[in-house]
Amino acid sequence: MNMRIPILKLHDCLLISIQWELDDQTALQFQEDLLHKIHETSARGVVIDFTSIDFIDSFIAKVLGDVISMSKLMGAKVVITGIQPAVAITLIELGIRLEEVMTALDLEKGLEKLQRELGD
Amino acid sequence: MRKKIFQYVQSHSDEILREWIELMRGEADERAIQAMSDHMFVKTSSEFVQLVMSNFSDSEQKFNERAIDFSEKIVRLGWPLTMITEGLRVFGKIVERGMQQTGAIDQYSYIDFTTEINNWMFPMYRTITEAYTTSWERTISLQKIALQELSAPLIPVFDKISVMPLVGTIDTERARQIMENLLEGVVNHRAEVVLIDITGVPVVDTMVAHHIIQAAEAVRLVGAKCTIVGIRPEIAQTIVNLGINLEDVTTTSTMKKGVEQALAATSRQIVEVQE
Repeated sequence: MNMRIPILKLHDCLLISIQWELDDQTALQFQEDLLHKIHETSARGVVIDFTSIDFIDSFIAKVLGDVISMSKLMGAKVVITGIQPAVAITLIELGIRLEEVMTALDLEKGLEKLQRELGD
Repeated sequence: MRKKIFQYVQSHSDEILREWIELMRGEADERAIQAMSDHMFVKTSSEFVQLVMSNFSDSEQKFNERAIDFSEKIVRLGWPLTMITEGLRVFGKIVERGMQQTGAIDQYSYIDFTTEINNWMFPMYRTITEAYTTSWERTISLQKIALQELSAPLIPVFDKISVMPLVGTIDTERARQIMENLLEGVVNHRAEVVLIDITGVPVVDTMVAHHIIQAAEAVRLVGAKCTIVGIRPEIAQTIVNLGINLEDVTTTSTMKKGVEQALAATSRQIVEVQE
């Protein structure tokens, strides 16, 4: 039995705070859950917060990249917040650029950015 | 035989010293002589000769200590190592010639003499070179630490805007440190825009550009914006000639423009005070 990552709805945004290191199964489960949730709530924005994560491996990074592209396809803008310096270095060294994604320092700034992007 | 050499060296020490200084002056590197005054040269030289002579009388440990002291001094004065080894060779030569002239050695005892003087000289070569390189290495490692401290400071200049001035060549180790300082600093200062100033970087080749691009991307991942400022004309030329793609990174020529853009990006501007 693995833990599911809670996805919270706030107006037309979805908030996800990842609190522990993801294993492969949880990451795939999260991908599924998020896409369903977007479909259910027809959310326009998604904020994923990584503040408490200090390690990411290549598989998780790929899954995240996929989730972001998929969410985009479903019409939701994604902002990633709180990436730690060590994680940023790992991602760059793995050659994962997450080029199309917006980033912000913390949840607050991430939400601001999203609101601006959505034009409210 | 050893006793004979020792006696000769001790009784003729003044003569040897004089001759040695004369010969060394002829042989020595221009650079080493220019670096110090005549007085200093004579003083250091006599110290050196005394050191060599003390190898006869002192115990090995004591000699080692003296050699290390002396070589540290020499490194500070900037004498090249070649001069020291040359000095040892010249010293041996002087002793050999002197002893020949006084008839202390003839062609029968010559082999004996050479063996003895070699036995005496070689450990000395080794000790001095070793002491020399040790103090050298220490100097280098000290400088390396000093350099690292100066390497990559991140300065918060305004709210949300930080600057990292880079001076000097960037190698892989330094690039790593730059990246770490940059990201830690961005998170700690809560910066939204970081300006990396490369005015002081003399050469931007593919490797340096690669490091800078990586740093810029990493900054974007932690949620800030990175601008490269201080692109000099020749750097712009090399970047384009090398086919480096800096399209994804914002760049400007001067820090001034960079700061203006950064302020604009954080929706602020500098206005003159109306009096």
